[in-house]
Amino acid sequence: MREITFGQALNEAHTVEMERDSRIIVFGENVSSNWREATKGLKDRFGRERVRDAPITETAFIGAGIGAAIAGFKPVVELMLVDFGLVAMDQILNQFAKTTYMSGGAVSVSMTLRVITGAGTSSGATHSESLHGLFAHMPGLKVVVPSNPYDAKGLLISSIRDPNPKVFMEHRLLYPVKGQVPKEPYEVPFGVANLVREGSDVTVVANSLMVQEAMKAADELKGSVSIEVIDPRTLVPLDEEAIVDSVKKTGRLVVVDEDYLNYGFSGEVVALVAEKALRSLVAHPIRVATPNIPLPFNSRLEKELLPSKEKIVSAVKKVIS
Amino acid sequence: MSVSDQKLTDFYRIMVRIRTFENAVRKLTKEGKIPTRFGLYTGQEAVAAGVSAHLKKMDQIGSTHRAIGHLIAKGCSLERLMAELMGKVTGFNRGKAGPFHIFDPSVGAIGANGIVGGSVPVTVGYALANQLKANKAVAVSYFGEGGSNQGGVQESLNLAACWQLPVVFICENSSPEVQRMLGHEIDYPQLSIDNVSTRAKSYDMPGSTHKGFDVIEVYKAAGRAIRRARAGKGPTLLEFKVHQLEGNLEGKVEANEKEKQWCPIELLRPKIPKKIDDQIRAEEATAVKNAIDFSIKSPEPSLEEAYKCVFTEAD
Repeated sequence: MREITFGQALNEAHTVEMERDSRIIVFGENVSSNWREATKGLKDRFGRERVRDAPITETAFIGAGIGAAIAGFKPVVELMLVDFGLVAMDQILNQFAKTTYMSGGAVSVSMTLRVITGAGTSSGATHSESLHGLFAHMPGLKVVVPSNPYDAKGLLISSIRDPNPKVFMEHRLLYPVKGQVPKEPYEVPFGVANLVREGSDVTVVANSLMVQEAMKAADELKGSVSIEVIDPRTLVPLDEEAIVDSVKKTGRLVVVDEDYLNYGFSGEVVALVAEKALRSLVAHPIRVATPNIPLPFNSRLEKELLPSKEKIVSAVKKVIS
Repeated sequence: MSVSDQKLTDFYRIMVRIRTFENAVRKLTKEGKIPTRFGLYTGQEAVAAGVSAHLKKMDQIGSTHRAIGHLIAKGCSLERLMAELMGKVTGFNRGKAGPFHIFDPSVGAIGANGIVGGSVPVTVGYALANQLKANKAVAVSYFGEGGSNQGGVQESLNLAACWQLPVVFICENSSPEVQRMLGHEIDYPQLSIDNVSTRAKSYDMPGSTHKGFDVIEVYKAAGRAIRRARAGKGPTLLEFKVHQLEGNLEGKVEANEKEKQWCPIELLRPKIPKKIDDQIRAEEATAVKNAIDFSIKSPEPSLEEAYKCVFTEAD
């Protein structure tokens, strides 16, 4: 099968869906620009009515997406970086997330909010966050965190077709990653984890870019520790069964998350296992996540805080000992 | 443009309907049948009545947390509206919305909003949908003078102007004399300007200020703006100066002597023949009574309802 990048996979998903369904419209900051890989070429193909550059006013254009969705469109709205979404929290966490419930199901909000996330590029504390835990915490949002090009295309197609509010989170360092991606459209279903590698000694649950780090750690320990790597692919809905069953088999759990440690995804997975598989555990679970510290600009300091292959290897060694 | 007698009677009926309904709400709140106190529209009825007279069913409104007048003028069922305020399952939103989040898409009332200024960006999205569908529908975005200061409202004015969207922004300024908010006395002013409509200039759109208690003036100003939007000529910012009548603060049901000059119903009444006035009042009282009876008889939602509608099921 041919190989394309994560960014190209996203672009294909937009293209096939926009061809199929004229209700799909795209807007955000610089979406018509050629240096935005996920949306490059869409304006030329589908016209400036359906593909629009918005002024840098996240509250207005996210809100406009919500309204267009309520009125029957299926907008894909791009936030250049997740940190910029923090200026539009009312629209995202009140209007986007809660409207379906508040309206008693009288309206639905089929909008995909695509956000670019992630650290590792020396971009400082307001251009580097993950924040999926923030969105997953709020009721009413589906949270999608692809880790490879195949999932990026299939999950974006599923996301566009799903009639709910979705936050679709793309780690910027995944954009150049290549992988096998079918040419034809396909869906990757929500709430179904990917068993990235089968193993018997330790369950490592990771999402987004951290799946790649977990795989590097599994490679490094090959022959000494058999690691099972699970990528939930969507945080809401979460494939609880896949995680619980794996821990029942291995008895050991390491959770890897680039989002902040406290009150987040890593704690959620440990709590899930504590509630549903506590007696299977033969060692204390370990969380490898970013401590609750704003990310520094200096790359050595940044690296110090972020999860990495090395930290995962040492966590795995600890749960094994 | 002269306004026909029939139009005047229609305006009058809508305003009386809103006032009668809200007076019932006051009473039901005191009796505990409506579980919370919330902002009412008393004194502002001319705005919703005069604006909605130009709106079709397919036109949308986005509203505030003082929404009852907007909803009734847009044609919402009084039964289902009252049932929602009582938290009943027969309400528009199965008792989950209450006064702050009512959505009735069947008449384009989508929706009330609990966040000051929160509905404005969303309403711009309705206008975007209308533009893309090229269906000549118009979105009307209501907010107050407090909401007009919100960043999202200013962003939305800009976005609507940049994209030339078919939307009319309607600021109901209820601080024409005293800077105040419902239930609060505030020391510093909320606005640095006298007229919110002057902000229209910053976005290169038409803007004007009008007496919001004179339904004929509202009707004429709204007509110009709505026709302009429908013709694809872009957004307008209208400001209507209104007086929330003391009844709103003190629980009195009618305007006091001083306030009569600002009461849109009192102002229009001399133009309505006594017989028709009596008839309208009687009919609207019956309609509101029916709504109350319907709501009281309606069941509470089942407890399972608490878990439903977080997400929409796929087809």
